Amino acid sequence: MKKRLTRTLAAVCAGTLLLSAVGCGSKATNTGTDTPKPAETKTETKKEEPATPAAAQKDIEFWTVFTGPDGVNMTKMVDEYNKTNPKIKVTHRPIDGGDMYQKIPTVVQSGKQVPDLAVVHAERLALFAESDMLMPMNDYFAANGKISADNYVKSAWDMGEVGGKHYSVPLDVHSFVTYYNKDLLDKYGPTVLDDGVITFEEIQQVGDAAKKDEIKSMGITWMRVKFLAWYSQLGGELSTDGENPDFNNDKAAKVLDTVKALHDNGYTNIDGEDPVQMFRSGKLVFCPEGIWMKNSLEEIPNLNFGMAHSISFDPAKQVNWTSSHQMVMFKNKEMTDERAAGIMDFLAWVGENSVEWARAGQVPASLKILQNDEFKGMKQAFLLDNQDSLKIFDYKYFGFAAEALDKIVWEVPFGRMETKEGLDQAQKEVRDRIANQ
Amino acid sequence: MSMKQQIQPTAHTPILSKSLKGQMLKQKVVPYLFIAPHLLLFIIFFAIPAVVGIYISFTKWNLYTPPKWVGFKNYYEILFNHDSTYYMQLRNGLGNTLRFVLMSVPFCIIVPLFMAIALNTKTLGNKVFQSLFYLPNLLSISTVVLTWVFMFHRRLGPINNVLKIDINWFGTQPFTWTAIIIITVWWCIGGNLVIYLAALAGIRQDLYESASIDGANAVNKFFSITLPGLKHPLAYTLVLTTIAQFNIYGQPLMFSKGGPKATTHVMMMYIRELAFGSGQSIAGLASAMSVMLGLCILSVSTFQFILMRNND
Repeated sequence: MKKRLTRTLAAVCAGTLLLSAVGCGSKATNTGTDTPKPAETKTETKKEEPATPAAAQKDIEFWTVFTGPDGVNMTKMVDEYNKTNPKIKVTHRPIDGGDMYQKIPTVVQSGKQVPDLAVVHAERLALFAESDMLMPMNDYFAANGKISADNYVKSAWDMGEVGGKHYSVPLDVHSFVTYYNKDLLDKYGPTVLDDGVITFEEIQQVGDAAKKDEIKSMGITWMRVKFLAWYSQLGGELSTDGENPDFNNDKAAKVLDTVKALHDNGYTNIDGEDPVQMFRSGKLVFCPEGIWMKNSLEEIPNLNFGMAHSISFDPAKQVNWTSSHQMVMFKNKEMTDERAAGIMDFLAWVGENSVEWARAGQVPASLKILQNDEFKGMKQAFLLDNQDSLKIFDYKYFGFAAEALDKIVWEVPFGRMETKEGLDQAQKEVRDRIANQ
Repeated sequence: MSMKQQIQPTAHTPILSKSLKGQMLKQKVVPYLFIAPHLLLFIIFFAIPAVVGIYISFTKWNLYTPPKWVGFKNYYEILFNHDSTYYMQLRNGLGNTLRFVLMSVPFCIIVPLFMAIALNTKTLGNKVFQSLFYLPNLLSISTVVLTWVFMFHRRLGPINNVLKIDINWFGTQPFTWTAIIIITVWWCIGGNLVIYLAALAGIRQDLYESASIDGANAVNKFFSITLPGLKHPLAYTLVLTTIAQFNIYGQPLMFSKGGPKATTHVMMMYIRELAFGSGQSIAGLASAMSVMLGLCILSVSTFQFILMRNND
């Protein structure tokens, strides 16, 4: 009995292994021969189109990563669009980012339930495009006529350009900025923002003035993005040739050493203290954080705060770490020109009506927003005054670099790791991941 | 009618043999039917993923394109290539995981054991306490860790404030491990507690009574009656707890993010990052690493099983 059972089990296992191997193989041939196919399928479905009236078209499936409060704003926007009686309506589906990124390869490969339109983070775009998972939008833009580069923040629009084709339309740009407590700044450094820039020297001056009241000058927050912004201010690049990581240098060391010195001299929060909590309770003057924090800070009574550019090494050079939500179309055999036109209508509409998205605390990537008075009154509007400062890190292996940096950029400032040791480790990790991918 | 009459006598013998065959078939098939539901789940959720996982560990795979067979390259990379980041990660990850298992398993056994013995005295409100002790078991790991992050908060946390200490539980050893062990034990008390309580109820009371007459004290009774009576449930929980703790992931991920200086960066964190990180997936290497973790779990639990069998 036992033997028979093991034999059956073994047979089943072997069978599944074979099956899975065969499955993978057939997928391989599928993707291999897929490229010329979309045109065929398109014409086929086109022939059938007269039979299905436009009203019977399924809604446009719009997947986004907005599961937080911003998801409510997005749903509101979609509802408003649907009220304009478009040819094809849109259904908004917020899905947790991690889940969506795991799900996407499977649905795109199987070709079933592929979302018509999806929001992905800008850093992922190049990889998706290179894996041949996205549909180029150039022809659809041309057919629509309303979507073009001039209407968008340049750095965000450029992220969609991979290998001469354009794969996305940016929804927003979101940056890491510096929140400051207005009351504390009036007390300890009233002249700091006269030139609109906060420098590291000023962090120390304010810190010296505030020390007696046990108030800290700067918070050590999300170190990865702070590191990237400051490294870029000093002229550093993650990779000089676009392939190999090249960030183990004096500039990177200077960034980490500067933060470490601020920490060691008592200008920052200490290890284990929560800087955002300190800022909320008025114990911190400058808190570098993302613009997505704004709405939750506004809910705190008696917290009189403002937003400014990143802290700078050089007042003449501003760099704000920035990312962008990008709207893409994943490869989908069922996509027809008519549906794509419906999607373009929606994208064009979003470009012209994105103030709702600004209400979520974001900076819409569509420059039409600059004509909107409500947006002009919002705290985050200053970011669009200096669009060149919005730096999106588009290194091909950004994901690898981000995870390698995460392991060291917290350790060095708090003195748990030497600067050189940390940078050596991070650069080596990125190298090894590229070599093994 | 006439047809039937004609057929019946001729069909008589084959029918008998058929029913015999049927009976034999029944004997062969029915047992499988009984285990079928579990077997099916086992195959779908365990056997297939395990076999496919082992296959993937011999390939280079980014989840998007079909896997490419690379033989033992992944294993060479993590086991013998001293210059590789992954060689370091495997050692650090497995080392930290083993360290955690060695530190947490004894507490995960002893603490619920003593709690069960205390509850078994049937003092007033023991059922209330039983449910209270079981409660953490029902919570998800993220809820548990978030709660404890507040408890261990350097400035606002009750632990530092009540004890009047200033310890950074998130970034200094050995405090980070201590905190993670406390969290883990608190979280997993319930499961083992229930098993011990059930087993304690099964120990005959007359043994204790006669021991009392012989003049045995509480300690004698514990070592001579309670502990031998709990031998099997103890062995069972030891194996299960060990396997469960090898899969540690959520606590260090959320509590210390693997720090300080990667001292709490456990195996599962490296595996997940490689397979489902924010860059291109390196699923082959990740699978090779999980096979190594699987082998560790397998050998430890085999060793425990052998130890148990010898004791019998």
